[in-house]
Amino acid sequence: MGNPLLTFWARHRQREDEERRARRARLLAAAASANRASETIFLILRRMRAPLIVLIAIFGISVLGLTLIPGQDAEGRPWDMGFFDAIYVMSYTATTIGFGEIPYPFTYNQRMWVTISIYLTVVGWAYAIGSLLGLLQDRAFRSALALQRFTRKVARLSEPFVLIAGYGRAGELLGHSMDALGRRVVVLDRNDERIDGLELESYHGDVPGLAADARDPGHLGVAGLDHPCCEAVVALTDDDEANLAVVMTTALLRPDVPVIARATTRVMADRMRVFGSPSVVNPFDLFGDHVQLALRAPASYQLLTWLESGPGAALPRRASPPRGGRWVVCGYGRLGRELTGDLRAEGIDVTVIDPSPHDDEDDVVVAGGYEPAVLAAVGLEEAVGFVAGTDNDITNLSLVETARRTNPTLFVAARQNRPSSAPLFAAMELDALLVPTEEVAHEVYAQLSTPLLWRFLRAMPALGDDWAADLVDRLTDLCGQHLQALWKVRLTDREAPALTPWLAAGEARLRDLMRNPEDRDECLHAVPLLLLRGEDATLAPDPDFVLAPGDELLLAGWPAARRALEVTLVVDAVREYVVTGRRVPSSWLWRKLSGAPPASEGTRPTAPTPS
Amino acid sequence: MNLEKVVFGFFVLLAATLNFGFFIGDIDRAELHNPFELFAAVVVNLIATVLKFGDRTQIGAIHLATSLVASLQLVGAALLYGYAEYVSSAGMTEGWTASVVSLSGGALMANIVSVVLLVIETVSFHRG
Repeated sequence: MGNPLLTFWARHRQREDEERRARRARLLAAAASANRASETIFLILRRMRAPLIVLIAIFGISVLGLTLIPGQDAEGRPWDMGFFDAIYVMSYTATTIGFGEIPYPFTYNQRMWVTISIYLTVVGWAYAIGSLLGLLQDRAFRSALALQRFTRKVARLSEPFVLIAGYGRAGELLGHSMDALGRRVVVLDRNDERIDGLELESYHGDVPGLAADARDPGHLGVAGLDHPCCEAVVALTDDDEANLAVVMTTALLRPDVPVIARATTRVMADRMRVFGSPSVVNPFDLFGDHVQLALRAPASYQLLTWLESGPGAALPRRASPPRGGRWVVCGYGRLGRELTGDLRAEGIDVTVIDPSPHDDEDDVVVAGGYEPAVLAAVGLEEAVGFVAGTDNDITNLSLVETARRTNPTLFVAARQNRPSSAPLFAAMELDALLVPTEEVAHEVYAQLSTPLLWRFLRAMPALGDDWAADLVDRLTDLCGQHLQALWKVRLTDREAPALTPWLAAGEARLRDLMRNPEDRDECLHAVPLLLLRGEDATLAPDPDFVLAPGDELLLAGWPAARRALEVTLVVDAVREYVVTGRRVPSSWLWRKLSGAPPASEGTRPTAPTPS
Repeated sequence: MNLEKVVFGFFVLLAATLNFGFFIGDIDRAELHNPFELFAAVVVNLIATVLKFGDRTQIGAIHLATSLVASLQLVGAALLYGYAEYVSSAGMTEGWTASVVSLSGGALMANIVSVVLLVIETVSFHRG
C-alpha cells in the first residue's frame, strides 16, 4: 500500500473496528450482569408457583363445597350459601381468624365440610408462607439480592474509584490507604467471609463489595469495569491465573484504564505484559530489589519504605545489611531465587540451603530438616547475613532462633507468610522482614496515590544515600516520626489564583511560599518532595528554587500545614503577608479606604477550587 | 411427552372453555349464566396465571400478560356479580347481568389469545 491516504484509511478502519469490538464486548458484559441481577424476581416467581397453585386449589375446593352443601336459615328453612358468603367464611377460617358461623348457624353437614377445609387451608397457608420464608433464607436468593444491591451501589458512584479484585491481606491494606487519602474503592473477592467482613472494618467511605469470581468478565462489569468513573483496576488475588484473567479482561474491554496486577513468577509476569501495558508487581522480585537498595543505600531504602507505607506510618528503622562477608539463604523457592540473584549481583558470596537439589545453582547445600548441624556445617559462625525464606512460618521462626544461637552478631532477615504470625515475628526483632502481601500493597499504593509520588520513588535512589539521609532528617525535624499527609499542589490560575501575579514576576522563591500565614518567620510543617515542571522533575527542591506558573508540587507534612498552604494559595491578602510581610486589608471596603492597589483583581477566576 | 406441558396446556385450555361456557347465551338473561361456571373460570384462570410465572422467554412474558388480563376481567365480573346479589337491593337485573357477562367476554378475548399463543408455540417447536 504505497498511497499514504490509503494507509491512513486502512488504519482508521482498523481502529474503528477495534473500538467497535471493545464497545460490543462491553455491552455484552453489561447485559450479562444485568440479566443476573434481574434474576431475583424470576427466582421468587418460579419458586412460588407450586405453593400458590396449591393454595388456590384448596381455596377453590373449599368454597365450592360450602356453596353446594345445603344449609338452613334461622327458622329452619332450606338455604344455600352464596359465593360471597362462602368466600368470606373460608377467608377468615383459613387465616385462623375465625369469626364463627355466618350468616346462620351451620348444619352438621356444613360443619363437617368446614372441619375438613380448615385442615386443608391451614396446610396450604403454612406451605405458602413456609416456602416464601425459605426463599428469603435461600443462599441463591440472598446472593442474587446482594448482587442487585451491589450493582445499584456501583452504578450510583459518581467519583473516581479503584476496582480491587482480590480482597486478601494486600487488598485490605491497599483499601485502607486509599480510603485514608479520601479515594473510593470497589472490592471483589471469591471468599464471602472477606466481603462480609467489610462491614466490620472502619472505612470512612462506603465500600461496595461482592463475593464473586474475578475471572468472570460479567462480575468485573458489575463491579464497575464499564463505569466511566473507574480510574484503575488492581488484581491482587492469590491466584496468578485469576490475576491474568483480570488483566486480560481489562485490556480487552477497557483499554484506557490502567491495570496493576500481582504475579509471583516471571513467566506469569511476561504473560500479563502481552496484554496492553499492565504494571506487574512481583513481591519476591521487589524484596530482592529492596535488599539490593538497602545494601547500597540504607537511608534511601528507609525513605522509600516510609513513603510507601501510607499516611500515618511511623519512620522505619534504618537497617544496614553487612556487605563484606558471606550470606546464608534458607529455602530456594521464588524468594530464594530472586534474593540470591540480587545478592550475587552485588558481589556478595551466598550459600543456599534447600531440601531439594537444583541444577541451575552450584552452591546449594541439600538438607531436609534445616538441622542445627547443617547450619553449623555451612559455616554460619563466619557468615554475616542470614535469610529464612521458606514458605512455612514455623520453619522460618525456628531457623531464625537457631541461627541466632549459633552466631548472635548475624544480620537476620525472614519471610512472614501468614498475617496471624505477625506478633511472633515482631517479638523476634528481626533486622529485615519480608511480608509479601504488604510489599505488594505498598508498591500498588505508591503507584496509585499520586503519579508524583511514584515518580519521586523511582528517581530517588539515583541521588544517593547521603541525600536521602538528609531528606529523612528534614522530614523528621519538621513533621515528626510519623508520616502525616502527602498531597499535591498545582500552581495554576485555577488552583492557586492568589499566586498568579507573584509567579508571573519571576521572583517567586519556594522559601516564601512555605511560610506560616499566622507568623511568617515560622515555616510550615511541610517538606516539598518533588517539583514537576512540564516533564522535568526536581527532587526535594531547595528553598531558593524559583517557582513558575503551572508547576506541580508534592508535599509531605502536617494536615494543618496543608490547610494553611491552601489559604496562601487562594487569599490575596495572606499571600501578600507571607511573601512581603505587609498586612494588607482583604475586604473590598478597607482596600478602597486604605487606597491599596488591587493587585490581582482582574485575574482572579470566579470559582477557585483548591484540591 | 412432557407432563409439565400437558398440565400447562390443560389449564390454559380449561380456562378458555370455562370462560366461553359462562359467556355464551343472551347477554341480559341471568338464568343462562351459571355462577358456578364463573367461579370455576376464576379459579382455573388464577391457576393458569400462576403456572406462567417465572418464564423468561418473550412468548412466556406475553402468556403471563394475557393471563393477568383474563384474571383481572374475571375477578371484576365476580365482584360485580357479588355486588348485585348481596349489596344492590334490585338483585340481578338485566343491566347487571349484561355488565358481568360482557366483562367475562373481555376475559374470553384474552383467553383466546392465550390459546393462540399456545398453538403457535407448539407449531414452532421442532423435534430434533
